[in-house]
Amino acid sequence: MTEIHPAGQVIESEFASVAVKLDETGNSVRLRVEDLRTGRVRFLDALELESLVWLADGHLTQLLDPSHERWRG
Amino acid sequence: MTAVVPSPSDVEVEVREGGSRYDRLIQPARVHGTLYTDPSIFAEELRKIWHKTWVFVGHESEVPQPNDYVRKQLADQDVVMTRDKEGEVHLLINRCAHRGLQVCDDKAGNSSSFRCPYHGWTYRNTGELLGYPYNKGYGGKNKLELGMGKVARVASYQGFVFGSLAAEGQSLEDHLGAAKGEIDRLVGLSPEGKVSLDAGWLRHKTRSNWKFLAENETDGYHPQFVHGSIFGVTGSPIGALYSDNSTAVTRNLGDGHSENDLRPEFRGFAEPMRWFGTTPERVSNYVEAMNEAYGEDAERRMIEGAPHVMIFPNLFIAEIQVFNIQPVAVGECVQYATAVQFDGGRELNQRMVSQSIGSVGPAGMLLADDTEMYERNQRGVEMADPEWLDVRRGLLRESVDENGFTIGSATDETGMRGFWNHYKSLMTAPDEGHED
Repeated sequence: MTEIHPAGQVIESEFASVAVKLDETGNSVRLRVEDLRTGRVRFLDALELESLVWLADGHLTQLLDPSHERWRG
Repeated sequence: MTAVVPSPSDVEVEVREGGSRYDRLIQPARVHGTLYTDPSIFAEELRKIWHKTWVFVGHESEVPQPNDYVRKQLADQDVVMTRDKEGEVHLLINRCAHRGLQVCDDKAGNSSSFRCPYHGWTYRNTGELLGYPYNKGYGGKNKLELGMGKVARVASYQGFVFGSLAAEGQSLEDHLGAAKGEIDRLVGLSPEGKVSLDAGWLRHKTRSNWKFLAENETDGYHPQFVHGSIFGVTGSPIGALYSDNSTAVTRNLGDGHSENDLRPEFRGFAEPMRWFGTTPERVSNYVEAMNEAYGEDAERRMIEGAPHVMIFPNLFIAEIQVFNIQPVAVGECVQYATAVQFDGGRELNQRMVSQSIGSVGPAGMLLADDTEMYERNQRGVEMADPEWLDVRRGLLRESVDENGFTIGSATDETGMRGFWNHYKSLMTAPDEGHED
């Protein structure tokens, strides 16, 4: 279920909480994604989003490995 | 006192036998018509000027966000100005390293990477090749040391982005020389010390050689004639600043740059905002912001106003608007024009956009008049006789100011002569790397 948040529509579960909204401050529209637990923000442009859609499940699973980026040690 | 105006032949330089054709075509008091009409001269200009010296391309404010990009021109080169995710500005040449296709088609956008529509080769917005489809055909990933082309050198001054296609040469600051101070003057009218050129560019195709524009920008002889209609309908006092009675000066700033310095006139009136045709009361928020930012110096800035400077070869700052001149062919160029926007000067910015639309917009009354002259000038020099254009006006009354710059009166052709001196020095320089 979504709720109103200044950072956009909230997508959350017991594991993560993010807000998404369209950002139009750039020269073309982007998706603004905010990790509500840390405040970290990422912008995703159309080509990056399309690439996410086509990401193989295996690659996506690799990104979910906590040691992949955020807790690399 | 009676002065005899020298004829061009009196002041003709001695041309050595076998000297450059530019020594013959460019003389102190006259220039030859073929400089504007000869396609071989235009081709040589591309090599020796436009592909070599620093050329104004755009402004950092056109790519405000990380991954923003805009399409620009650098003479005949289609260039993509990008801001990477770290905030650095790049000038990429819009050409795929595979089959040479134009990669970007939109005028502007936001993307961390660009994908060529022909075979899918994909580049970071820094020009680096990210990958290509069906990579086994190349022996796998990351096997090709290719990328989009790049303008060899990119540098900014006060947010104005310049590019040079030559890997080596003088620095941008050396190129700008005394013209830097004029850009500083413009920026000094922003309460935040910063200008933006993000109001959008008007694009005027002009059937004229680019040099007619560069010469005209600081020609103070034409406004009373060419712009009589706009001065008349608006009741503008600007026309009177360009007459023999004016205390304004035309200054050769060196390196091909020149200005019409109207400050002596405005200092005489000592009225803040007169340069903008208004009073402090009518733009009180702006004046207050200026006073807060600059204290006692604010009044001087608001009295002296914005510069009117032509920066060689293609950046013209005309007080409230900026022009970017780009050549297309010997008889064609494009004038891109936009309103200056002062950061922290919202009240003034709205007026600057309105005034710019009125002067250089599609139905504007200033640029259309100039363009009519440029195009008739081009048709005129295509005629056989007389062969020469006269640039002697004011030669007899030039002097040197306290900073060592040659100055003439408000209506003198001092700026043009500076332009041609510099042009000749570039065109007679050794043509490195070119085989005839």
